[in-house]
Amino acid sequence: MSEPRPVIEIKGVSKRFDATQALSEVSLSLRAGEIHSLVGENGAGKSTLIKIMTGLYPADSGEMTLGGEPFAPRSSADAQRQGIAAIYQEPSVFPDLSVAENIFIGHQDQGMMVDWSTMYREASRILAKLDIEIDPRLPAAGLTVAGQQAVEIAKAISLDVRVLIMDEPTAALSAHEVDRLFRQVRSLKEAGVSVLFITHRLEELFAISDRISVFRDGRHISTRPANEVTEESLVREMVGRDPSDFFARGEHPEGEAVLRVDSLGVSGVFSDVTFDVRRGEVLGFAGLVGSGRTDIALSLFGVHPADEGTIELEGQTLDIRSPRQALASGIAYLSEDRRRLGLSVEQSLVANVTLATLNRYTSALGLIDRDQERADAEALRQRLGIRAPSLSTPVSQLSGGNQQKTMLAKWLNTHPKVLILDEPTRGIDVGAKADVHKFIDELATSGIAIMLISSDLPEVIAMSDRVAVMREGSLIGIYPRRDATQERIMTAAVGAR
Amino acid sequence: MREWAAKHRWESILIVVLAATIVVNVSLSPFYLGFGNFVNLFWLSIEKIIVVIVMTFVIINGEIDLSVASVMGFSAAVMATLYEGGEMAFVLAILIGIVAGALAGLLQGLVITRFGLPSLVVTLAGLIGFRGAARVLLEDRSVGDFPEWFERIGQQTLFGPFPVALVLFFVGLALAWIILERSAFGRKVYVIGNSADVARFSGIEVDSVKVRLFVASGTVAGLAGVLFAARVGAVQGTLGETYELDIITMVLLGGVSIFGGSGSMLGVVLALFTVLNIRNGLGLANIDGITQTGVIGLLLIGSVLVPNLARRYRLRRPAPEAMAHGPP
Repeated sequence: MSEPRPVIEIKGVSKRFDATQALSEVSLSLRAGEIHSLVGENGAGKSTLIKIMTGLYPADSGEMTLGGEPFAPRSSADAQRQGIAAIYQEPSVFPDLSVAENIFIGHQDQGMMVDWSTMYREASRILAKLDIEIDPRLPAAGLTVAGQQAVEIAKAISLDVRVLIMDEPTAALSAHEVDRLFRQVRSLKEAGVSVLFITHRLEELFAISDRISVFRDGRHISTRPANEVTEESLVREMVGRDPSDFFARGEHPEGEAVLRVDSLGVSGVFSDVTFDVRRGEVLGFAGLVGSGRTDIALSLFGVHPADEGTIELEGQTLDIRSPRQALASGIAYLSEDRRRLGLSVEQSLVANVTLATLNRYTSALGLIDRDQERADAEALRQRLGIRAPSLSTPVSQLSGGNQQKTMLAKWLNTHPKVLILDEPTRGIDVGAKADVHKFIDELATSGIAIMLISSDLPEVIAMSDRVAVMREGSLIGIYPRRDATQERIMTAAVGAR
Repeated sequence: MREWAAKHRWESILIVVLAATIVVNVSLSPFYLGFGNFVNLFWLSIEKIIVVIVMTFVIINGEIDLSVASVMGFSAAVMATLYEGGEMAFVLAILIGIVAGALAGLLQGLVITRFGLPSLVVTLAGLIGFRGAARVLLEDRSVGDFPEWFERIGQQTLFGPFPVALVLFFVGLALAWIILERSAFGRKVYVIGNSADVARFSGIEVDSVKVRLFVASGTVAGLAGVLFAARVGAVQGTLGETYELDIITMVLLGGVSIFGGSGSMLGVVLALFTVLNIRNGLGLANIDGITQTGVIGLLLIGSVLVPNLARRYRLRRPAPEAMAHGPP
């Protein structure tokens, strides 16, 4: 059987953001009428590739061809004109426009006047072909997520796309809706469209894919027909690295429990989460993005207070309703979102380090003791090795790694009993990463109870005394370090057998 | 010196503009350098520049208070109405007038923080509502004949050649400077203006800081309304109308970002001196008020445009879309 000619071919595409090589020399090709799945851990480079294919980023190097012609979209509108469209987890419909208007919004060849009856008729025809029962006259605002995705699929069909990219389209759908989505995807395939499908759920992968490609750390690892792939081989290829590449934490004597969380839940987000963190321990939290790890942290930190269950700190039951209360009780949270939630980037290094502890430096008159403030900031700067021209430098001028350390300094200055670290090494270079790992170890040794949330599996395993695995809002299990192999954790996190 | 200028680019530009204005003014009029003119310079806008001090805090905090001029009118109207009734000691009427301003600020601050509404909308409602209240209280009357000591506060000097309001302005300015740049409260004002979420995640009491600022804004506006009444010797429902525009103009011209988080008291003081000197110079050159306002308007457009164009020029190289998305 001869190889069908690819619709889109990606050859040796690379992309770099500051210190992070998001994609290196990636090649991938999609055939006409193929459902091709792309899998990989968070940060494997899938999203970056999609953004390059849809014209949101230019590639640093490499080339793409579409139907044999060179393809280098300058914007998502340009990509759409050339026949590539993408549908995301959160559909981007215009809520106030009708379903039909949403379907035809990309068409710009209709002159001044809108021919409503033709538009509604055409919309009905496309929807019927997809077996979607939606009145094209209704506003899109009333649709469910599944309905909005269906509208986006209909829009793609109306544009005669050659390649449709679907980025985790099933994340917000019920099982019944997933079935219907799959039927729509298969009818696209029959119409000759190539579908690039991204999902974290392994069972879906095998149900829908013709071929499966694995990405890891910005590299293309393999592409194989779905019937030649097993869950086991997939997990192995997705994980790949070895924890021994990382800073290895020594053994620790077990302390008493500092934080006890019992049957904690926030309705609709996570439920029945029970664990404890001991003095001097690093408790890792593994799981996919959206599995509820960050939500547990936000509820312990009082941002989204829990509706059920109890939190006990050093034997005292706490009702934490705000970050202010959490900090007063001794719980600090280093956010994964440095720029939005972590640092006041226009402010100086000193101001950021003392941000959460301003009261300590404030006299009875309300003035800041600037000498004391600078002395403490300088001590932390040296301890963490923050490289900055001066203490007065605005944080926006520091590198990502030094910003990350500044954020860590801010929380250390609160002298926490429990420190929650959410993706503390994401997006920073290798050297800064190693520094952060060393501090985590030191901090635990000094008696702080640490919760380490990380999507970097080898990191979690290397740094944690025990690893808790979350999946879809539930705590699946807590594995002591000796049992925490990458395969076991990945298998638990994705729900494979 | 050069280092300071690089760090305080906007302030440096203002110093140059201010110096140029002064040079032109000196060459235009022999009266300019007289001490009388110096007091006069501040005197005609004294209520506005008192409110400018507190507006600086509000805008750095990432909010805006459009209601200040209406609150000035409202406070003065409350005071005048109580005085007209004649049942009450005048001092008490003054105090109640200022407290009414504080309550107006408290009300708006609570609506903004409790319901999460933008201050632009809430204080626009305040602008209309409190002006309406002042008009309802006074209808089309003009209340005057205040006690002699009250008018003396407004018109005569306290220390040497300085009227009370001018002394209040300079004392207030010094205090505000210290609070903004040296106190924990000032630090919080900046951080919240940068990002209220970062502030909240750092345990800072964001809503309380905002409410306190609106109370301060209302109180100072109330005080400014009373001072206006003392200076002019009469209160009408239209007292202070449209002053909010001049007040906000001076703050923005001072380099305070309309998006919050940056700006300095020094910049605002320089902008304030510049605006007053331009108006004064144009006045000495017999140029009418409407043209003066036009010149100030052009300055404001320039002050908003220039930094933004400069930033856009600097960011030209990387594609804007890639900047907005960042790494995955």
